[in-house]
Amino acid sequence: MYIVIVGCSEVGFYLSRALAATGHEVAVIEREPQRYQVLTESLGIIALLGDGSDPDILKRAGVERADAVVALTGVDATNLVICQIVRYMYKTPRTVTLVKDPKNEPIFEEMGIDVVVNWIHLALGALEAGVPGQPLRHLMTLRQPGRELVSVSVPSGADIVGRRLDEVDLPPGSFISLVVKKGQATLPSAQLLVEAEDEFIAVTSTGDEQLLYDMLTGV
Amino acid sequence: MRVLVYGCGELASGAVRELLQDATQITVLGNERSQLERLSSYPKVSAVLLAEPVMHDYLMEAGISQAQAFLALSTDDHENLLAAQIADRMFGVPRVVCHVENPQLQVIYASQGLNVVSYAVGILQDIRFAINFD
Repeated sequence: MYIVIVGCSEVGFYLSRALAATGHEVAVIEREPQRYQVLTESLGIIALLGDGSDPDILKRAGVERADAVVALTGVDATNLVICQIVRYMYKTPRTVTLVKDPKNEPIFEEMGIDVVVNWIHLALGALEAGVPGQPLRHLMTLRQPGRELVSVSVPSGADIVGRRLDEVDLPPGSFISLVVKKGQATLPSAQLLVEAEDEFIAVTSTGDEQLLYDMLTGV
Repeated sequence: MRVLVYGCGELASGAVRELLQDATQITVLGNERSQLERLSSYPKVSAVLLAEPVMHDYLMEAGISQAQAFLALSTDDHENLLAAQIADRMFGVPRVVCHVENPQLQVIYASQGLNVVSYAVGILQDIRFAINFD
């Protein structure tokens, strides 16, 4: 496949190398002359020097025959414009980008970008998983801005241990969507008894995370 | 009419002064504190300072869900296009105008139904006329 990558700082660099190593044809657009020089001279990556949001540069990089364009400029708005230019003007079948602001993830999807990767979320998820005893984890951002899927583990001393699920208070607009008991997933029913170490998969508003956490783990 | 103006440069400031007659309330979003202070000294004008690239939050804070018009007039084409599309597609603001400097972007986004203005297009037209006239 032919893949054009716009912006070649850390992520773009490793991605282009990985794709080239697996037999893909890769071209990179980089506007920083020094980095461009390193890419072409030392690493042998096919690169173009220029502004990757300029329709002419994109055309010169061959986006018309590209199977995918990956926008990695580090600026959300610029990434959006690059993906939209290649989609509207050059009919690129697949556009992929990385967003910084988690709220842009559902917005960009709504605006026709095929794959939107939210790196704050990826990093947070991985970092949280690595911190022992961290009972709230971000699983994903939902399509509607400001809504998230989180996982909360109930610590043994929590107030809600021993209560039925319909006696557990939640912030308005937050819902338990799945309960994992000893590795077994069950749908949340009103009679379900809360035990220590239960894991709740819940939908919540970004601003209510802390409140939800406090209500489920409070002692 | 409640209007949101994204940007606080010369074009945006000009638009704010122009709107003072008709709009009932104007909210300006920009990243230059002194310019925002000057603009919010007008009656009916309030300001939101953009300090971080979290577009959606700032637009909510500025009351985009009640806006009847949204003008993206900052000096950054890409920011304008992002802001204008959020206003248009996520919030359904009835009147959205987006300024871009790059005439190629104007053509691309106008064909997608966004209301895009670009003074570069007018200037290029003037230049063409000027050359043809002699």
